[in-house]
Amino acid sequence: MFDTVESFYRPGTVREALRLLQNGKTRARVVAGGTDLVVEGEQSIRVLIDITHAGLSYIRRRGKTWVIGATTTMAAIENSPAIRALAGGILARAAATCGSVQIRNMATLGGNLANGSPAADTATPLLALDAEVVLANARGRRKIPLTAFYNGLRKTTTGKALIVEVAIPALPRGGRWSFQKLGRTESDISLVNAAAGLQLDSQGRVKWARIALGAVASTPIRAVEAENLLAGRKMDESTLAVVCDEVAREVRPISDVRAAAEYRREMCRVLVRRALEECAGGTGCSL
Amino acid sequence: MKSMEVRLQVNGEAKRWTIAPGDLLLDVLRREGYFGVKRGCESGECGACTVLVDGKPINSCLMFAAQAEASEVLTVEGLAHGDTLDPIQEAFLDHGAVQCGFCTPAMILNAKALLNRKPHPSEEEVREALAGTYCRCTGYRKPVEAVLAAARGSGR
Repeated sequence: MFDTVESFYRPGTVREALRLLQNGKTRARVVAGGTDLVVEGEQSIRVLIDITHAGLSYIRRRGKTWVIGATTTMAAIENSPAIRALAGGILARAAATCGSVQIRNMATLGGNLANGSPAADTATPLLALDAEVVLANARGRRKIPLTAFYNGLRKTTTGKALIVEVAIPALPRGGRWSFQKLGRTESDISLVNAAAGLQLDSQGRVKWARIALGAVASTPIRAVEAENLLAGRKMDESTLAVVCDEVAREVRPISDVRAAAEYRREMCRVLVRRALEECAGGTGCSL
Repeated sequence: MKSMEVRLQVNGEAKRWTIAPGDLLLDVLRREGYFGVKRGCESGECGACTVLVDGKPINSCLMFAAQAEASEVLTVEGLAHGDTLDPIQEAFLDHGAVQCGFCTPAMILNAKALLNRKPHPSEEEVREALAGTYCRCTGYRKPVEAVLAAARGSGR
């Protein structure tokens, strides 16, 4: 199948993986779950570097931050008690919709981001959670906000660096969360997905808000203007209407075989409304 | 083409195979005679190539054979003990949950992984476990009933 591949490496450390990546130059590719790389079927790959044994499969707490290693599978994330309890479980719920059982046993969090797909299901909740991506290269590590990670359709700012982990910083106290996905089936690729986070003050006014959407622009996005509109408002019908109108203005969906742009835009309105209603109604999350 | 060696367990037997670095697990298993591993869509959609790697169902069309190094692979050929079928296989027969049979090994292996993890699943959990395996003959009702029956231990 991949007849051009001359070497297959399984480095035991990130350092070793980086060295191999550097030596392999442009003809080396990193592989983990393989669920994107193999399907793409790129026939110029000479060197494969399997990072699934490089010590990057973990879910840990570091101070107030949760960190998830790049090769942690969707199955591990959806089944992790810690991630299920974090922020209404929105990341666990999103991971649980990333394809079939078999795919979720293979596909990794780092891969879902590295692929650069605007429909990456985990990217949307991670945007709402203010997640950061930790990248490593020969010179060291750097942390960038997920909002700065994407660089256009299927483009990321990773360059030659390796995604090492994803960090989720401390969340606003009393935050309420929701993840919503619309697909042909629960585990199919998203036509639209949305995540929201709200923190209300003692008067029920919005203190802090996040609205993120997937599959409605060239990258997963935050609807920043809509978030700003929420600030200081009570979560009533008029707020919902105004905010959902703004979301529909902010998104840049396309038409493709799965859905028309107009439909996607309308569904942004519907999913964000559902997400905000769920946040306003309490904690927890549903699909 | 360059070659390399992979050592793994398949259905409980230690194997040491010479492979190409770009070989997919599906191709190697079939080359070695495990024809219960079906070649379907080859893009991770249909699930017909499912095998268990260290107990977990995966699509062998998306995994490089080199990635199976030091792991335990279970194919449908490894389920029966001599003439004694696995209870899930018995249940598939009793419920007529097979038509052309192409998806059957994958259905049974997914069910096996589920029941190992969760001996008494709900119908919804069974449906989720089978959802990554496409049947193009009849549908899913009989396989779902078969798995639930196997879980009840009655086999019928």
